[in-house]
Amino acid sequence: MSHDHTPTVAPTYSIPVGPLHVALEEPMYFKIDVEGETVKHVGINAGHAHRGIEYLTTKRTIYQNVVLTERICSLCSNSHPQTFAMAAEKIAGIEVPERGIYLRVVADELKRIASHIFNVALLVHLTGYETYFMHMMQVREICQDTLESVFGNRQDIGAMCIGGVRYDVDEKSIAYILAQLARIEPEVRDFIKTFKSNGTILRRTKDVGVLTHANAITCGVVGPVARGSGIDYDVRREATYAAYDRLPLMVHTQTDGDVWSRAMVRLEETITSIDLVRVCLRDLPGGDAHIHDRPDIPPGQAIARTEAPRGEVFYYLRTNESAQPERVKWRVPTYMNWDALRFMLQDAKVADIAIIVNSIDPCLSCTER
Amino acid sequence: MSRLPKDLEARIAAVAPSGVDFSTETDALGVTTVWLGLGNHAELRPVADLILELGGRLAMITCTQPSAPEEEEEDEDEDNEDGEAKEPEPKEVAKSFGGTPLDGTSYEIDYHFDIAGDAVTVVAFVPHGGAIASLTPLFRNADWHEREMMELYAINVTDHPDPSRLFLDASIDNAVLERLIPFSTLVNAASTKDLWDRIAANKKGAA
Repeated sequence: MSHDHTPTVAPTYSIPVGPLHVALEEPMYFKIDVEGETVKHVGINAGHAHRGIEYLTTKRTIYQNVVLTERICSLCSNSHPQTFAMAAEKIAGIEVPERGIYLRVVADELKRIASHIFNVALLVHLTGYETYFMHMMQVREICQDTLESVFGNRQDIGAMCIGGVRYDVDEKSIAYILAQLARIEPEVRDFIKTFKSNGTILRRTKDVGVLTHANAITCGVVGPVARGSGIDYDVRREATYAAYDRLPLMVHTQTDGDVWSRAMVRLEETITSIDLVRVCLRDLPGGDAHIHDRPDIPPGQAIARTEAPRGEVFYYLRTNESAQPERVKWRVPTYMNWDALRFMLQDAKVADIAIIVNSIDPCLSCTER
Repeated sequence: MSRLPKDLEARIAAVAPSGVDFSTETDALGVTTVWLGLGNHAELRPVADLILELGGRLAMITCTQPSAPEEEEEDEDEDNEDGEAKEPEPKEVAKSFGGTPLDGTSYEIDYHFDIAGDAVTVVAFVPHGGAIASLTPLFRNADWHEREMMELYAINVTDHPDPSRLFLDASIDNAVLERLIPFSTLVNAASTKDLWDRIAANKKGAA
């Protein structure tokens, strides 16, 4: 009697993840070659949310583009019009009033708080810790309420304009924002404690999806993905703008480059953002929040950069004699961060794919425009 | 208080013998922005090599087709009508730094680098139908920028390791930013009737 001893070799096959997938929020298509449960090769197929917005910007006037750029993406919706406006201001030599630049920081940091908590909450959701996910989203809701109360909108807050901001705060709204921040801060401190101690979260995020410091430099990644791999770079400090040179900005880094490190950078940055808003509202200069005319933007070209929640946003603007820009080009942080996934997913377990993809805080509508 | 090396211009000039158009400005907060036009786009690689050596990070690549500078309006000679047709004078085409004709079809490619927080933009002018060397072997993240550039414009990037489509499907012709694509065509419905005709035709075919 003979037994058929087939050698037990892990089968090699390809699995599609996306473009529509329960664990991905956005339509990216990964072609993943696996050996058993282990990822061996990652193919990235993009283009499912390509809308031709770069072309559209050349058909709108420069002032209309402040509105259009805000609609590229919802989570960093404030960073796009701000960076675009900064480029236009550079070409036209417009100086934003002091109060305006402080209010720009307030809007930007409030959006960052909402964005960071949202991403880390989704990570917790993907680890299967649903009650804590719901709790975190409830805390993020305090921030969303604040945005809605101060700006009139939860996502596209319409705060930016060329030459300043379109909103202003008074004593009552300052007191309200400070009270809301006082509610959020202890909760975020609790999130940090939980992330350092909770076994469910630690087991799913520590040493998972590692991007080494060297690979982070090779990929040119930015934002919390870079800082999680020990790259000490933040546009707010390195290429400072608005009022950041006068604010107590702390740049947080981690060294392990895993999913946990990137989440921890985001949580610590949330605390820093809360501090920045407080200092801005305390030191808020009087006067105008924006310039009072609508100057023509002369022919020229300029670049501008800001630190969006996901990292460096880079704008190029070229104008000519007409009211429409000749070329607008921008690059969002996620553009490079996708490629870094190839390193993070190498030899990862299939079950961790969604967690690792989420850890770059991907933004597809920004990437493809 | 620029963080760039003081001799940056000289070091660039040493690797780009065809000349560089160097300009620099530092804003009130101390952030320096450098614009660096190349006299010859073939010298992009040695310049990029130097920037890599200086610890530069590639932040973005912008490709544009600068419009031709507007012609000065000439006074029409009215008494020309009954005379013989004048020979059209050869038009003087404006040229970029380095001599690429700015006729509305040539390309300007801006390579935006970051060196320790300061921005250095290297500008290469490429005539229509021309080619530029890939920077992907030096800067891995040039990959997507160059692939996107190749689908938006009729420009060739030589030695790109993977010149496949990035966002657009392979069935779509490249250089989409160089031609007018009516919105109705873009969304696959040249007119409401056309769309229904096509559906009706498909239905017949299936029956």
